[in-house]
Amino acid sequence: MPKTVIPFGPQHPVLPEPLHLKLVMQDEKIIEAIPAIGYVHRGLEKLTELKEFTQNVYVVERICGICSCMHAMAYCQGIETLMNLQIPDRARFLRVIWAELHRIHSHLLWMGLLADSFGFESLFMQIWRNREKVMDIMEETAGSRVIISVNTIGGTRRDISKELLLKTKVILEEIREDMKRIEPVFLNDYTVKHRLVGIGTLTKEDAQRHCAVGPMARASGIAMDFRTTGYSAYGELEFEPIVRTDGDCYARTDVRMQEIYQSINLIEEAIGKLPAGEIAVPFKGNPTGEVISRVEQPRGEVLYYLRANGTKNLERMRVRTPTFANIPTLLQMLPGSELADVPVLILTIDPCISCTER
Amino acid sequence: MIENVKQINVQELLHEVQSMQYDGCRLITATCIDNNDDTIDLYYHFDKDYEIRNLKLTVPKGSAVPSISRIYLCALLVENEMKELFGLNVENIAIDYGGHMLLSDGAPENPMLRQQITIVKKGEENNA
Amino acid sequence: MFDMIGNIFKNLASKPATRQYPTVRRASFKDTRGHIGIDIDNCIFCGICSKKCPSNALTVDRNAKSWEIDPFKCIICNVCEEACPKKCIINYEDYNTSALIKEKRKSVQQPKPPKEEEQSGAAVAGKKAE
Repeated sequence: MPKTVIPFGPQHPVLPEPLHLKLVMQDEKIIEAIPAIGYVHRGLEKLTELKEFTQNVYVVERICGICSCMHAMAYCQGIETLMNLQIPDRARFLRVIWAELHRIHSHLLWMGLLADSFGFESLFMQIWRNREKVMDIMEETAGSRVIISVNTIGGTRRDISKELLLKTKVILEEIREDMKRIEPVFLNDYTVKHRLVGIGTLTKEDAQRHCAVGPMARASGIAMDFRTTGYSAYGELEFEPIVRTDGDCYARTDVRMQEIYQSINLIEEAIGKLPAGEIAVPFKGNPTGEVISRVEQPRGEVLYYLRANGTKNLERMRVRTPTFANIPTLLQMLPGSELADVPVLILTIDPCISCTER
Repeated sequence: MIENVKQINVQELLHEVQSMQYDGCRLITATCIDNNDDTIDLYYHFDKDYEIRNLKLTVPKGSAVPSISRIYLCALLVENEMKELFGLNVENIAIDYGGHMLLSDGAPENPMLRQQITIVKKGEENNA
Repeated sequence: MFDMIGNIFKNLASKPATRQYPTVRRASFKDTRGHIGIDIDNCIFCGICSKKCPSNALTVDRNAKSWEIDPFKCIICNVCEEACPKKCIINYEDYNTSALIKEKRKSVQQPKPPKEEEQSGAAVAGKKAE
């Protein structure tokens, strides 16, 4: 049987962002896959060396829209460690609320795209209708829909009023009810299961070997969630990482579905425990030293390495985004699968290419 | 200020990485930092049970570093990035994009190195 | 197999989730970051906004008494609004409509004589109407 090479992407209906794959095929089976990136490299790491460290908060938010809140959170946490800033309790809880809202909207976005990728347009619209409610909460509380720019060095820029917190709770309850109705379509529907169960299996050993992070690792049975280390206010909230052991596309969908409920619970708990007080502390001077700051994003763990030298400009900022760690798992999962499953398989790693290339 | 840093040299790198893998560590990533003095600091970050472990190398610019992608396949992206953006000669990467992973043909060479900044800035000023 | 049916019936009975956009518009939320304007009469041309701006969208000229924003660079983070010591940078809650040509918006403070003041007041009113 002769081998054929099929280029997949960079422009493809299911891919929101440009990712190119060279698929070496034998009949309908993939025997080798080589991913290629580099279509949206913007040099943001370089840019952060030219901007002041206070301005960089807005640069790192633009690395990726979907997880912008957590990018800024990780960066601010890093700078706060360097400057020995103790941020107020209220700011810590507010950060968690916004970060979890971001997680919900990111997972809902992904679910819509997944439904679209296996051709269930109507389900896609159902999911995105729910996402719109989260976007409205974010616009009302933070002033913007996606890049909410609420984090700043030393705390948060905005406060959420009591009325808005109550409204948020009501809307989240609506989302939970809607998701409960849509959940069986994702998890029990015959056709959906047919497209997801047993596709792209990543065993626990493979996930460890390829250093997978986030929902990818959790769907393969690794209980790894950086939130459990209790950064920001997560230490005072109760939750368990959601773990599935199958490691296929269905398990990843399930993990993300359950994480939406988990995030709703976390927000409700954080609203209940939200302490009164200041939302930001002033700071003086410039940071010095090196620090590594890690937080859990919707797609997995993000690492910020910062080196400052006492001037306004940072000497180096390095971002390792979750998709950067998850792309190598494609090398493991794609060989052996059918061409028709490739779109679904790629989507289940939740690729965020602009994150990856920065 | 970073915890668990182990300073090693280039010869020890593969051995140290191998022993990290025996310990069941997860490779997070590698970081290059231009020190402004013809050397590059090279960190390899590993994670075991949320505890970070770092290997630190200081190498001259443009020098050869062995690839760890035979031990950790997932290092291939970051090693290609090191090669392109910092001009380190990483040898034997499992998949070598040949300097075209992030950058295209007409792009500046090794844009993350310090010397390049001034050149770019001068060009901008002249144009304006 | 019929998990979607319940949703379908619920959707048939409920209102559409979308709006007939250009004709029906949702009112902006309070403090939504829409676009940036300036009350030029109160500006003291200290230049703090242009120094704090992460995207270098602002140009302040003390001698010409002018304040200029490049809407194509502005990322609407509202750092300038927070930094302004005279609180004369204003955040409008409605979004800018898309523009046909790339042009900067420049506001120049008029000299103070009383008859001139009306003009600058009209200029500010014109900005608001935008």
